[in-house]
Amino acid sequence: MKYKILKALDIAGLQVFDPVVRLCYGEEPKVQLQKIGQFIIIPIITFILFLIFWDYAGPRHTTKSGEVPTPAVVRDAAVGVLTFHERENIKGEDLLRSGPQRDAALAEVEARITELEPIAKTAAAELKETELAAREHLKSSTAEINALYRAKRLEFRDAAKERQTELKVLADKTIDGTEADRVTLLEAVAADRVQSAAETEEVQRLRDERSAIENAKYPPLIAARQTSNALEEELQFLRKRRDFLTGENRDLKITEVETKLAGLESDLASAADGAAALKIATSIQREQDNLATLGESTYSKPWTLPAQIDRSVRCVFVGFIVASLIAIPLGILCGLSRIFMAAITPLISLFKPVSPIVWLPIIFIIVGGFIPDPSDSALLDIFNAIPGLAGMDVNPAFIASALTVAMCSLWPTLVNTALGVASIDKDHLNVARVLRLGFFARLFKIVIPSALPLMFAGLRISLGVGWMVLIAAELLSSSEGIGKFVWDMFNNGSSQTFAQMFVVVFVVGAIGLLLDRIMIVLQRLVSFDGAPTAL
Amino acid sequence: MNHSRLAPISPRHLFSHAARFALAAFGLAAASIASAQLSPEKTELKFGFIKLTDCAPIVIAKEKGFFRDEGLSVEVIAQPNWKTLLDNVISGNLDGAHMLSGQPIAATIGVGTQAHIVTAFTMDLNGNGITVSNDIWESMQLEDIDLDTPEPMHPISANALRPVVDEYLSSGAKLQMGMVFPVSTHNYEIRYWLAAAGIHPGMYTATDIGGRTDAEVELSVTPPPMMPTVLEAGNIQGYCVGEPWNQQAVAKGIGVPVTTNYDIWKNNPEKVFGVSKAWADANPDTHVAVVKALIRAGKWLDAADADGTLINREEAVRILAQPNYVGADYDVIKNSMTGTFIFQKTDVREMPDFNVFFKYHATYPWYSDGIWFLTQMRRWGQITETKSADWYHETVKDIYLPDVYLAAAELLLEDGHIAKEDVPWDTDGYKPATDEFIDGNLFDARDPIAYINSFEIGNKDPI
Repeated sequence: MKYKILKALDIAGLQVFDPVVRLCYGEEPKVQLQKIGQFIIIPIITFILFLIFWDYAGPRHTTKSGEVPTPAVVRDAAVGVLTFHERENIKGEDLLRSGPQRDAALAEVEARITELEPIAKTAAAELKETELAAREHLKSSTAEINALYRAKRLEFRDAAKERQTELKVLADKTIDGTEADRVTLLEAVAADRVQSAAETEEVQRLRDERSAIENAKYPPLIAARQTSNALEEELQFLRKRRDFLTGENRDLKITEVETKLAGLESDLASAADGAAALKIATSIQREQDNLATLGESTYSKPWTLPAQIDRSVRCVFVGFIVASLIAIPLGILCGLSRIFMAAITPLISLFKPVSPIVWLPIIFIIVGGFIPDPSDSALLDIFNAIPGLAGMDVNPAFIASALTVAMCSLWPTLVNTALGVASIDKDHLNVARVLRLGFFARLFKIVIPSALPLMFAGLRISLGVGWMVLIAAELLSSSEGIGKFVWDMFNNGSSQTFAQMFVVVFVVGAIGLLLDRIMIVLQRLVSFDGAPTAL
Repeated sequence: MNHSRLAPISPRHLFSHAARFALAAFGLAAASIASAQLSPEKTELKFGFIKLTDCAPIVIAKEKGFFRDEGLSVEVIAQPNWKTLLDNVISGNLDGAHMLSGQPIAATIGVGTQAHIVTAFTMDLNGNGITVSNDIWESMQLEDIDLDTPEPMHPISANALRPVVDEYLSSGAKLQMGMVFPVSTHNYEIRYWLAAAGIHPGMYTATDIGGRTDAEVELSVTPPPMMPTVLEAGNIQGYCVGEPWNQQAVAKGIGVPVTTNYDIWKNNPEKVFGVSKAWADANPDTHVAVVKALIRAGKWLDAADADGTLINREEAVRILAQPNYVGADYDVIKNSMTGTFIFQKTDVREMPDFNVFFKYHATYPWYSDGIWFLTQMRRWGQITETKSADWYHETVKDIYLPDVYLAAAELLLEDGHIAKEDVPWDTDGYKPATDEFIDGNLFDARDPIAYINSFEIGNKDPI
């Protein structure tokens, strides 16, 4: 049992937990504890130190866009993102609820609204008061400096004018005057320059002082805003739910149309003349169409982060599979034939360093050429019919992002496969020759199996590269996914923006880590020689 | 759309009255027939928007269920910039979008991307501001002592900017300012503002599509949400953009709005709802249904109580502040949307008409609005050759579709969603001549050539 677990951990690339298992089985506790300390405790401590440093340094670095969020703020932002997701899901469910379920939900919503409304009202009133107080506070706190500033500016303006008049007098004197007059004028001009500079500096100082007062935060206002906003947002959500459970509810609308249809049918039976009957019949047809569309209608939910992550992961796999389908055969050909390798090396060297940002627009145009009308495209229908992509709303932007991923991530696999094939043990090939194996038998029995470990090492790098590239591609192509989330939140420029970027850092990092682990497992499974993999 | 074009306006108008009486007479059965007059060809729609508060009619029509009432299921998708938005409408990725007034016009006549885009709905009036960086504002204040008070006199002209411009020129550089798109209202507004003070913002020519020939101030394109960031980075020293990106600059303390487009041209048209001509032709009933929902949204946004307080704006702001819509902080969006505008922290003003979504027949697709944009395109050289006055009148009639608007309005009137006086039923599409501009110049859309020739800076055309 013990060795089975250890083997599993080994294959899964989780050797760090090896000592824990051994410790549980009581094997050399001292050695195991030491190892646990080294490989588990120390990394955890480092991470905690990192958090502490971040918590300390973050708020001390302020920019005009805000301050670097602390771990707690980032956690709140993550909760906010998830709350938005949950609320949108609930809205979608509410729209489709019917019967007693709807009644129960409605009662719950109504109760919560009644509970919240008075609290929100008080909070709003308080906020209004605080806002007024803040404005008053600003006025009173800057009144003094404003008056001083204004006085100084007027004073300096008048002084400057006066000096100009004096200079004019001195200048007039120099006409037909002596050398001494000219020297006096030059000196006076220089003195004026110095004086003006000093006055500007004084004005500048006062401005800075004033803006420091103006920009000072007023904590009660921030607190009042937060309270009021949180309450109002929840109320807004609840009211929308109420709409979805009553007037806009699908089930209720269907019943309404059905009643209407029944009425129209009885009208048809008692129609006075042909013209009226035709009119009613047309209406019946319309209502039936209406009923059909209503029956299929759902809440058109906005994309939320969890859904976007899902789409991104699928997108990266589409790109990765395309990349593998191109890179592996090419790599094998390269490894088998020196001539072929020589032929395509320039192409590889040329295209490999090109940035995804350059590939994307090119690929976008090419993809657009195949999909002239996105609302009616056979190609998109094919993609949407692929099992893993159902409901992902595949559009040209998705395909372009996936192909950009493919274009940028195929190189490591290609190069590694070529290397793997080229470095097959000559003995194996000689054996194949002796056995007179055909080309395909040689390919599948000898070449590919021996090249697999290196090939998978390449695939692992490719997937990592693809994941990094994808975010940029989505951001540029506005394809729904993590990249679009980043761009949208950045564009929102709200007080949450900064923290949301940090949330994305952790999400992207965690998923990248997970993908990497999956590839490690695959790589270990195909490496029969038990070659160690880098962690 | 074809069917609505067949009948001239007045008989249909009479019919609508007849229909109303009929409604009263026949009761529920008749009502059900009337409310189902449209059968939308396409019910699942995707509309694009840019993160600006004036996307509100689309967002409100969705969130308040006005689209659903028309049997439409609408997805509203944020677009990264105006170019992508237009491309997506042309390619069919989007069914329609929140557009700059100049976009359908420019696309149709082939300034920039060429495609026939039409509009039957004007989304709002006003709503833009010009913001300069703190440094420029300081120079302007030091230059003009009258500006250097907590609440300076408005409107602020670009006169105080002149010395700053000269200083940049003498050091071999040019003041850089941002606007959102070459054919955007913002481009024409900031040019108007600068030129009114004698500062040359540069001409477009056949070879200079950046519009910098002879420029004393260079203008460049930046997407709206990026404006504050780019200003803070120092790439530009000022910009003209819609809300909330001026208030955002104040909130973050990186710039000072000096004027709004309400002061440059009182009640100027701003955004339109644009669709491609091909889409409009293929989906005439859907188009009318969408316009119906949008008119209701406009009316909802401008609903006011007896004192003239806008009653629905707070709720609208709450909706717009959701991350999938405008997404800026509620407090920042709230300012302009509820009729206050913060110029400086100490200078908070009431501007009840900062955003107009319905009042003053704002949503009607006026031909005269289109002509103003065409005259500006000619003035600044985006239209490279002289055109006849007739060309202006004919072009704008290919783009603005009042028939669709009126068809939608009639149905709404029948359902009692709007009042008779909400729609200019009998207009020929031209607003009366107005001189409510910052420079007092008279604009009469019936005489575009004279208007083009009335400016000191800009192209002139032989009459």
